[in-house]
This record gives sequence, structure tokens and C-alpha cells, in this order.
Amino acid sequence: MSICGYAGKILRLDLATKAATAIPTEKYRRWGGGHGMGAALFWDLCKDKTITDGRHQANVCCVMTSPLNGTIVPSAGGRCEVVGVGVGMYPISWFTRSGFGGRFSTMLKHAGWDGIVIEGKAEKPVWIDIRNDRVIFRDASGLWGKDTWTTQKEIWQMVGVPRGTKTAWQELARLDKDKKSAKDEGRFTQKPAVLTIGPAGENQTAHACLIHDAGNGAGQGGFGAVWGSKNLKAISVLGTGSIRVADAKSLIRARMVTKEKYVASSERPDFRAWTRLGTLPKPIIQVPPPTKDRRPQSCQGCINGCRTRYNVGYGNESACQETAWYGPYARKVAKNAAENTEINLKAADIVQQYGFNSFVFQTGLHWLEHLYEEGVLGPGRKIPSELPWKEIGTLNFAEKLVHALSTKTDIGKDMADGWVQAAIRWGREKDLETGALQFSYWGWPEHGYDPRAELEWGYGSIMGDRDTNTHCFNQIFTSVSAAFAFAMPIRIEAEEMVNLHARKLSPYAKGRPEVLDFSDGNMYSEAVAQLVRWQQHYCRFWKQSALFCDLKWPDFYNTNTPDLQGATASPDAGEQVFWNAVTGDKLSFEDGIELGRRIWNLDNAIWVLQGRHRDMVHFAPYVYQTKFEKGELFPFYMWPCRDEKGEWKYTDLMGRALDKGKFEEWKTTFYRLEGWNRKTGWPKRSTLEKMDMTFVADALQAAKRLGEEEA
Amino acid sequence: MNNHVPPPDEEVSRRLLGTVSYRDRLSAGRLMPPVGMLREDVRSLKELHLLLTPDARSLPGVNLDALAEWVRRTLGDDDLAHIVKNINNSAESYAEACLALFELVGLRLEQARQVLDHTA
Repeated sequence: MSICGYAGKILRLDLATKAATAIPTEKYRRWGGGHGMGAALFWDLCKDKTITDGRHQANVCCVMTSPLNGTIVPSAGGRCEVVGVGVGMYPISWFTRSGFGGRFSTMLKHAGWDGIVIEGKAEKPVWIDIRNDRVIFRDASGLWGKDTWTTQKEIWQMVGVPRGTKTAWQELARLDKDKKSAKDEGRFTQKPAVLTIGPAGENQTAHACLIHDAGNGAGQGGFGAVWGSKNLKAISVLGTGSIRVADAKSLIRARMVTKEKYVASSERPDFRAWTRLGTLPKPIIQVPPPTKDRRPQSCQGCINGCRTRYNVGYGNESACQETAWYGPYARKVAKNAAENTEINLKAADIVQQYGFNSFVFQTGLHWLEHLYEEGVLGPGRKIPSELPWKEIGTLNFAEKLVHALSTKTDIGKDMADGWVQAAIRWGREKDLETGALQFSYWGWPEHGYDPRAELEWGYGSIMGDRDTNTHCFNQIFTSVSAAFAFAMPIRIEAEEMVNLHARKLSPYAKGRPEVLDFSDGNMYSEAVAQLVRWQQHYCRFWKQSALFCDLKWPDFYNTNTPDLQGATASPDAGEQVFWNAVTGDKLSFEDGIELGRRIWNLDNAIWVLQGRHRDMVHFAPYVYQTKFEKGELFPFYMWPCRDEKGEWKYTDLMGRALDKGKFEEWKTTFYRLEGWNRKTGWPKRSTLEKMDMTFVADALQAAKRLGEEEA
Repeated sequence: MNNHVPPPDEEVSRRLLGTVSYRDRLSAGRLMPPVGMLREDVRSLKELHLLLTPDARSLPGVNLDALAEWVRRTLGDDDLAHIVKNINNSAESYAEACLALFELVGLRLEQARQVLDHTA
């Protein structure tokens, strides 16, 4: 089969029987790719969708690519999506997702596969060796217990790829010494792309992740624990093929338009129009050029380079949260800024090597420190711990903490099923009321975009399955707040800002700037519900199925263009332009949103089968009971809001908590708009049938969990 | 505006170079796109100095009114608290205030070290 953009088949691995078979991609083509295909595969292949812990043997984990992987689509070519029932959430570990970058998805497609479905449990630890069509189950007993970097290095060695970066073209057939065939199986230049777990995954601890290369991780979801429960240590892929693109000329043209029109360059004057925090506007920012100390590193096909390789040899490829989790503590012991940086980067390496999702430390480590300082946790205390708490901030402490949580030792024993579960075990539920433990939704920590202020983040998370981690809108907060901090002239005033966004929010919120009004008077409105819907549907398809990078898309406004219009949905370099150039489809931007709605509905149906009911859809108590104090973490949280006269102004959103009753009313509005039953949050047959999802309605009806029709 | 600060005495110097109790910490944070807002509470002047260190990726998050009060009440340094207040009132922007405070706190730490060196 040759369908443009796709490799044509999906690899199905049954670890219990060591069987590798192929599923034609065509069967799942209607779901696009990535999350959509993965959710549909899960729906078809998971025999028990009532499971609530990803470590259950019935769980099915899908590692999925998109048609755009392995092509030159900017900020999309190297992403990869993982789905399945997760681990460590509360009260239920939902069917969930995670994504990672790098070159794994590209290599997988070059090997001829659009994704991998992982079922069953191997009797003994295995790793999977994929070389184009050849799929070999290999004994991983020699790799079990090793960290993620050592594992990858040993696999590279076992596959037989020459070391070093100066090696020339290699012949795939020659890697197999026992093979006499002289058949040409293709050539390659790269090392195999390996996705692996570390000790955290082997021990099936909550928040264990999957790591690829030095610093690409599928963090949220606990998929490292899922693999560990299946005795799956790693998957290695070596591919020598290519991806057929439908319209190469249009693809190159769109990429050139992106570079010439939408890219912000450090050499162009508007780059720092907002502030020195030059991360804005989205989506396409070229990082500063290489220096003698560092050089940028990108995912496959990306024109950015948002990660770094350093001349010092540590912290390589780590970016974002993992380089920040230890910052507040490193400062306690660092003698100067240089040492502070060194500890931070080495702490990033530690979590990467253990395969541990450092995101939980963002608010979680403050809670542990709180318990220690309050005399509750520590040697001989109510919560016993022999960790060197007095040394918090040192690398020794960081290593020992991550080790304990990764190996179920010390407090890690109580925390292996999740942090909220540990709080309950320790009798610390009150910390979820005071906010000492800021795990806001589904057992996940507050992300840094407080749900009491930034509504689309919080509402999106609780209506979904995890911390949403979708940066569609929050560049507004960071750029505007930073501009206020520097007392810079406002580059785009509030009214223009919301109007620029509203132009792109097709179909539900097109031309409705009020959807972005997060003021007290509008925060529980139908308009905000439409914004959250748009974000969920956009992300389910364009970000998580087509796999446009979350940190770069959507591009609502762009200060490089004369009219400030961003690339999103544009006719010259919008998401749909790239999709159509690669696949040959005639998809509109809105078609993508609609496809995202279907995928979102399929996800919700799985959650309902797992046990979801609207009554359990609520934030941690502190979100309702404790105000986000003004100046608590930063002097202000600026956002465009309408005042009492209806005029748009940037307004500080700190100083409030959510009203639980009003939020319940907002949920009712959200369910109504989605066509889900308002009392239960379950999908209705009429809604599903309109989306050609009768099979989902039938399954829900059989499970007695189909939403009743309403007037 | 005169931001000259006379050297602290020995007792204040000891407090300035020490660490306060957890309950006496200063609530603070950091704005780091795209990570978001991070909590970075402060328990010593040295930690405050590192928090304020200019950084291309982020901005420190400190309530400057609360900071002046913390310096006065918790560290017991009225002179420093007075200048923190001055800077807060006179700086053209929050970021500029943070830069000035970074310099000031660095100077104060050095003064405290010198005082204790001389008395050692």
C-alpha cells in the first residue's frame, strides 16, 4: 500500500507470545495519525476498557507517528505520541497520552511502520530490535537494571553500528554477521533510535517515563511503568526507507514561506519587541546562534533548536521543566550562579537516566520539603525517611531522592502509586485543601499556569485526563506579564490581542473575542467553555495526531507580519497546508478541528467505560478553598479582560479561588455544548452517530454507560 | 536617590549570612516561559541574591513590598529594608528594581562578610 505520508502498516507486538504482525494503516486512516490512530487501536484491541491502572496486563500501549513525521514540516517532523491507560493518577488512572520529540518517529517510519501497538506481558525482560521489516524479540536480562543512557549505548553496540559521528554510509545487511545474503537492504548513517525505560519504569513506579536519546521523554502518563509491567525494556529502530510526499513543491513552498514570513530571528528588530524574554511570539523562533559554550539541537526536521548541547558535557538535550525542577534547592548550596547552573543541569541528567518524570517535583518537592520542615517527614518521624534532607540542594540529595522514588525504597515505597495516594496514606489530605500539596487535577501537579488564574489550562486539564500541557494561549500571559515587568510599551493592546486570536478560533469561537475574557464576571461563561472546547479539539488533532509541536503551534499572532496575523490556519503556511501537501488530502483547518472532536469523543468514551462520571470531575480542594495570593510567585498574572464598561484591558488575575458551585454550572454548559449528558457527562447516541461513531454508542449502551438523550 | 547603605553591625551581619527558619521564609517564585511560574521560596540573603541573578530565560518573582518587610522583620536589617523600599518606589520598572536589588543584595552580602572577617 502506498498512501502519501504514511509508511502503510502498523506493527503489532504481542509480548506474551513474542508475535510481531502488521496491521494495515489504511484501516485507521480516518483517525489521521498519532493520538487519533492510537486511541482507535486501543479501542479495538484493549479487551478490558474498565481497567484503571496502566500496569494491568490488559493495557494496550500505542507508540504512534503522524504523516508529517520524517518530512520537512517545521516543528512537526520529529514528534511521537504514546497512548494507553496511565499510571499514578488519582482517583483513576485514565486512558491518557504523552508525547516526545527527537528522531524515533522518523526512524520508525523509515523502517516502514506508522506505529507500534504493544500488548501482553513478556515472560522475561525483552527489548525489540526493529530493522526495517525485521522485528526481533531480544533478551533484555543484561539490560535490566541499567539506566536509560547506558541501555541505549549498549543497544547501539549490540546492533553493531560503528561508534562516532564520522562514520560513512552503513549497509543494513552487513550488521547481521550471521547473515550470508548479499541482498541490499538499504543504507543508513544514524545510530538506531531507541526508546527505553530506566530503573523507574522497571520498578513500575508512578511517573516513570520513556526516554529517547539524551533528553527526549514521554513524561506524563507513567508509560515507563506500563512498559515495566510488560517486561519491555526498550525498542530500537533502524530504518532505511523514506516517506512519499504527495506534493513536494507545495511542501517546500510552505516551508519557505514559514521561514521567510513567520520566523522570528534574533537578527531582526522585532524579536525583542516584548521583552528580553525572547521566546515570543510563537511558533517559529530561531534560537540564538551557537557559541563556544553551547550549540542548539533540534528534533528531526525542525528549524528551531530549542534544546542545547553544552561543551561541559552535561545537561545535553534537556530543556524546559527538567532543567528547572531542582533550581530552588540548588540555590541553597550553590556558591555562585555557575555552580547553581551546574547542579541544575546535572540534576536534569539524573532524572533522564532514571527515566523519571521530573514534572512531579515542580510542586511536589516543595510539599516534601514542607513535610520535612514541619517535622513530619524524616529520620524517626511519623513519615520515616533516611534521605539526607539536610543536604537538599546538593547533587547527592537529588540522586538519592530520584533513586528512592525510582526504586520504591524509602518514601518511594509509599509514593509508587502516586503522590495524592501517598498523601492519603500519610493522612495528609488537608494539604490538598491548604495548597501545601498543589496537585490540582487527576493527581497531577499544578503546571505553573495556575487554574485559578489561567482558565483554559485548568479547565482543559480537568475536563481531560491529565495536566493538559498545551501551550496554545499562555504566551499571552508570559509575554504581557514580562512586558509589564519591564515597563515596555505594550506591543499589542488587549483588544487587538483578543481579536487576533478570535480570527483563528474557527469554528466555535471565530469572531468571539469574549472567549478569552477570564475576568471574574466571565470566567464561568459559555464563551470560556467554547474556548476550552476549541483547545481540546484543536490539540487532539493538530497537535497530538498530526503532531505539530506544542511549543510552536498554534501561531495566533505574529509580530513579523504586517497585519500581525500568525501562520495558524493561513492559506500559505497553515497547519492544513502542510497536512495536504504531505498526504494529498483536501483537509480544511476546520476539518482538522472536527476530526479532533471525534478523537476527543473517543477518548471520553474510554474514560466513561473506565468509570468516569461528572461527579468525579473536580479540582483538588485548594483550588476552591484557597486564593491564589497576589504576588505569591510573581507580582502579577496579566491577561486580557473586559472591565465593567466592556473595555479590554490587561488585568491581573491573581487574588481569587474558583467558586465550586459556579464551576459545576460551567461543567453543565460544557457538557451541553459537547452533546454529552449534563447529569452524567456521558456521550449521547445522537452525538456519536452524527460523528459516524455508532460503534462507540453501541459499546457504551452495552456497558450501560450511554448518556440519556435530553431535550 | 541615595542608595548608600552603611555597613551592618556584627549581629546583623550574622543574621544576613545565616538561614532563617522554614516558617520565616519569603514566598517567592520565577516566571520562566514555557515552564510557567515556579515557586522558589527564599530563606537567606544569599538565596535571594541567586534568585535575583539576571538570567536570559526567566524573571525572578518577588513581592517587593513583602521583601522590604521580610528584610526588616526577619533579617532585622532596617538599613537594607529602607533602601529596598526606596528602590521599589523609584525604579522605572519591576525588572529594573530586581536588577538594582541584585546589586544591592550582593553589596550587602559582601559588607556582612567583611564585618565578620574583621571580627574573626
